[in-house]
Amino acid sequence: MMFAGVVVAFVGFAIAFASLGVSDSTSVRLGMVLAGIVVSLIGIMGVITPAYQKTWIYRK
Amino acid sequence: MTKKIVFVLALVSCLAGAGAAWAQAPAAAAPAAAATPITDAELKAAVKPTDRANGDPDGSLTGTATDIAVSDAKAGLTVADVLNQIGANRIGVNFAWTLLCGFLIMFMQAGFAVVEAGLCRAKNANHTMMMNFMVYGVGMLAYFLIGFPLQMGGAGAVANLGGTPVLANEFVVHLFGKDIGLFGNTGYMLMHKGTYDVAVMVIFLFQMVFMDTTTTIVTGTLCERWKYAAFMVSTMFLGAFTYPIFANWAWGGGWLAMLGSNFGLGHGYADFAGSGVVHSVGGITALACAFILGPRIGKYTKDGRPNPIPGHDIMWVLCGCFILAFGWFGFNPGSTLAMSGNGGLRASSVAVNTMLAGMTGSFGGILYMWIRYGKPDASMSGNAFLAGLVAITAPSGFVNPIAAAVIGLIAGVLVCISCEFVERVLKVDDPVGAISVHGTNGIWGVIATGLFADGKSNYGGSWNGVNGNVTGLFYGDMGQLVAQLMGVATLIGFVFVLSFIFNVFVDWFVGQRVSAKSELAGLDIPEMGAVAYPDFVLKPETVTSA
Repeated sequence: MMFAGVVVAFVGFAIAFASLGVSDSTSVRLGMVLAGIVVSLIGIMGVITPAYQKTWIYRK
Repeated sequence: MTKKIVFVLALVSCLAGAGAAWAQAPAAAAPAAAATPITDAELKAAVKPTDRANGDPDGSLTGTATDIAVSDAKAGLTVADVLNQIGANRIGVNFAWTLLCGFLIMFMQAGFAVVEAGLCRAKNANHTMMMNFMVYGVGMLAYFLIGFPLQMGGAGAVANLGGTPVLANEFVVHLFGKDIGLFGNTGYMLMHKGTYDVAVMVIFLFQMVFMDTTTTIVTGTLCERWKYAAFMVSTMFLGAFTYPIFANWAWGGGWLAMLGSNFGLGHGYADFAGSGVVHSVGGITALACAFILGPRIGKYTKDGRPNPIPGHDIMWVLCGCFILAFGWFGFNPGSTLAMSGNGGLRASSVAVNTMLAGMTGSFGGILYMWIRYGKPDASMSGNAFLAGLVAITAPSGFVNPIAAAVIGLIAGVLVCISCEFVERVLKVDDPVGAISVHGTNGIWGVIATGLFADGKSNYGGSWNGVNGNVTGLFYGDMGQLVAQLMGVATLIGFVFVLSFIFNVFVDWFVGQRVSAKSELAGLDIPEMGAVAYPDFVLKPETVTSA
């Protein structure tokens, strides 16, 4: 699951980067970049973190 | 008298005409001015060394026309000599300023070392100090071999340092109708393609100590459980690839810097001294590694509540904070790369902004802890002080003092909230709070630039190839904020991923974490072979139970 989170985090970056080619509008780019940041945060905090917490050393 | 007037006019006209070209030209280049000999009458007016037979108590006879280097003794002093001296003086001042600031930043390694060692337990003090000691050498070696060319190999001419035309090879891909710079490719071992150059040496030294700051951030988060061999391999990668690639994109002519000229987003990603490039890269890499290593034994109970594990020497911690704050005066003001020309005098404003943000940061942290927990926590006060400094690092060159104070105050509160979030929600063990101090507040600094930049700074009339001055959302440029947010998206979506994947490989091949037995005993003996305090009796188990 941690690697799934890594993929999601990278997809967020890809969304932000893609905004450069999708539109010349600053507002559209702002929206896409913010969406990309949110997706990356979901990948880190919503996917990687729960997977990480399952492998805590004190639970082994 | 007429000849004197003609000489002065010639000098002024040559300065006005050639000034711009000089900024880009190598120091040894021939000046555009004609070699006009100065007359005997003018030389007689100059002070002679004999005038100082009785000393020079007020300094009025020292540093005169007789001190100007003459290129041809037979021809004597010429206008060309005078112009060459003026150019050499300007670049010399900038060299001296940048080098001295680099030396200050190098001393920050000592600050990081004592802060991190003070915040770990005594049984791990030698190990933590040794990581901070070798991070300097390991990081520098990686940067010397690979990192510097990747970062600065395509940076182009740095006018304030006399021009560096040899750094002109950027690898680009053509995308969205534009050239997207990905990494530089000149300067391997400082000998490749003419990079054995005095200006390149200054840039290398200054950029190297920035990179080393990044690598030492990670050691704080992972102390007390990081295998020393894994630390060296991981640091090597960070210094050779992760940091230089993002730094190239931001400072070396890469695609983030060109967001303004290529895509009309403000002045491109603007990070004056590295809130994002240095601090966020370090903090985010620390977070990625902390996910892989897990928390220290005893940090969390079985139901997930965090246990406090206090450091062993708060005096070192706060002393280290002051060492870091001192070094920050190299970090931020030094990033003008100049004291003469192209906005160099703005270094004073940058220095004051740095002071103010550190001050308000410490106030923010102290007040938050005092109100929330009833005591002004010492270690969090230190972290809040550093958080203010981290947050102002990117905007320091673009904002006014009031904005700097506000940015620092927010950072001081933000670091406390972030530390609680990382510890209690993410349940990531960060003994020194580096993820919050450097990662969270580095991102805040990047965003703050896109909000508070007032458009009053002027570093040669343009920034990142876009005419005019960096201006944030509050002063009318939403495009600048988008450029800054693009940098944030790159940090958390690319830098995090790159760091995570590489450190997973390190974990597979080297093993990132020490054994439980070594961890409980303390890493000083198992990893280093000697304890930090041989004359003291250490508690064998210092973990408190909830």
